[in-house]
Amino acid sequence: MADENEHEEYDSDEEVEMTAADVLLKLEEAWLNEKFAPELLESKSDLVECMLEQIQQMEENLTRCKKGDFRIIIHRMELDRIKYIITSYLRIRLSKIEKFVHHNLEKELNREDSESSKLSNEEFVYAKQYADNLESHLKSVAIKHMPPNLQNFDKDKTAPRPNLESYIFLKVTEDQEGVMVEEETDEHENEIINLEKGAQHIMRYKPISKLVENGSVSLI
Amino acid sequence: MDPAEVEFLAEKQTVVIIPNFSQDKVYLIGGDVGPFNPGLPVEVPLWMAVNLKQRQKCRIQPPEWMDVGILEEKKQEEIDSPIFQPMLNEHYMEVAQLLLSCATNDIPKADDVRTYIKDIWDIRIAKLRRDRKSVV
Repeated sequence: MADENEHEEYDSDEEVEMTAADVLLKLEEAWLNEKFAPELLESKSDLVECMLEQIQQMEENLTRCKKGDFRIIIHRMELDRIKYIITSYLRIRLSKIEKFVHHNLEKELNREDSESSKLSNEEFVYAKQYADNLESHLKSVAIKHMPPNLQNFDKDKTAPRPNLESYIFLKVTEDQEGVMVEEETDEHENEIINLEKGAQHIMRYKPISKLVENGSVSLI
Repeated sequence: MDPAEVEFLAEKQTVVIIPNFSQDKVYLIGGDVGPFNPGLPVEVPLWMAVNLKQRQKCRIQPPEWMDVGILEEKKQEEIDSPIFQPMLNEHYMEVAQLLLSCATNDIPKADDVRTYIKDIWDIRIAKLRRDRKSVV
């Protein structure tokens, strides 16, 4: 209950009031961005919580009204659709956390206080537990049986890292000028392009990762 | 992205239906729909329209671009130009598939529409294949 109150205050103090429909649209955008980005993006847990509240309210309403069978079916269909988006979003995040667990934990522990966290509180706890479990599992299954001089290894060097150079498709939602896209030529020329609203492009993820964060482009 | 997810995204688009029942406004989380009155057209999301049609509660009005004349013109444009033409609808393939499979009797000359859309699709795919080398 305390969480609910905190959430309401957050909504009115820091953000413009959004309707449930707006929250749903933003959640869909976050879902698609998370799906196509090679690295873990910022956690939109406030959107998820807001939607979960809406779903709960709607389900309570539905249990209350017995007649009007017809409307119930339509509401249930919509609830199923929204639940699918939420579960898919959370699953994608979890699989990225598990795949790059060491990288994400390292980033989280090293971040500045001014930067926002990419992991929600629950995700952070999960990531730590997963990392510990993975380490103890590998130790007991394989490393213990190896010759002593191979038993220690540097986790920083061997951890899998997301491939930020992978190519992604994007759609521009706000005009951007002077985006630097480095060309990989021998002369190391820097190519600067302007992004027009509504245009679709394919390019490497790294140069536009900041734009995805602030919402000026969306991945497709 | 698998085909089911692509269809999921396309289903958010709205179409006009003509219901045969009456119902007050329905307050969905994603927006309001209705009120429904028999015989009067109303705009609903595609997923709802398909469901209502399957339960025989409405007729679906085909979107404007799903007309034989317009599709024929579009096909000609695609053939004439070596580059891609702006398409009538972002999700034309999915919408066409859904509507043609569940509401065939609501769409005039459904078979012709199906053929034209398939032709346009083939032409665009061929352009993609041919130009793949220049993209890379």
